[in-house]
Amino acid sequence: MKDFHIDREARGAIQLIKLSGSLDMYSFPRLESQLSGMFEQGLIRVVLDCRNLDYIGSAGLGALIGFAKQAREKGGDVKLLNVPERIYKIIELLGFTKVLQVHETEEAALGSFAS
Amino acid sequence: MKTPDQVRVKKTTGKMEIATPGDVSYLAYIRTMVTELARQVGFPEPEVAKIEMAVDEACSNVLEHAYARDKQWRWQHREPEIRLEIRTEDGRLVIEINDHGQGFEFDKFQPANLEHRVAEMAPGGYGIHIMRKFMDEVQYSSSDQTGNTLRLVKYLKKS
Repeated sequence: MKDFHIDREARGAIQLIKLSGSLDMYSFPRLESQLSGMFEQGLIRVVLDCRNLDYIGSAGLGALIGFAKQAREKGGDVKLLNVPERIYKIIELLGFTKVLQVHETEEAALGSFAS
Repeated sequence: MKTPDQVRVKKTTGKMEIATPGDVSYLAYIRTMVTELARQVGFPEPEVAKIEMAVDEACSNVLEHAYARDKQWRWQHREPEIRLEIRTEDGRLVIEINDHGQGFEFDKFQPANLEHRVAEMAPGGYGIHIMRKFMDEVQYSSSDQTGNTLRLVKYLKKS
């Protein structure tokens, strides 16, 4: 069990958030707080790097989808990067990949905001 | 793995019992124990991931709803606790999750369609969908004598 960590870096106008550990009902309020604070500052272009994420529950998924919806209403988005296969299969089965953009490279994720 | 303080674990042949305080900080421990057992009995990794998520959703629901602070739950004098009994029988994994919080009418609860919720980008309300989608059987019972028990079953299919 790895502790949940959030690291944030700016890539121009895009916020790259690196997640590690488990995103569950215990940890998701921390991500929620981070994203809420960013949105209040108008930082609504977000890429979540999930390379080191080992679990995501519906509380975390719900929070992500909710923030993506809010961001889109203001011209931004929340996109996923480097989703581990184990997690990708789960979110694909549940249909979340139909509404959340998932990218395999940082370049593609960052570049997708320009189009 | 090391058993955290305040957690009771009892292992016998083909069965494991776990009792943890009713607190979200124990969810990771529960997931670890359940996934280890699911792997040991031979579930392939994609199925282990589904079992992990279903159990996590079940326990999260207990904490969010059954033990919600604004509800009158059973045996208020007792500290909230989640008890799991995990056993293998007849080619299936049976996981029973018991609490003594507020019960609800599980069978009458008909959440909105999963596809619609996702399409609407709803921020929550996915837990029961996930349990029903990822497990082969989901049953709920509630009584003043035994508390609330959610029974999740996954068949160990031979490939």
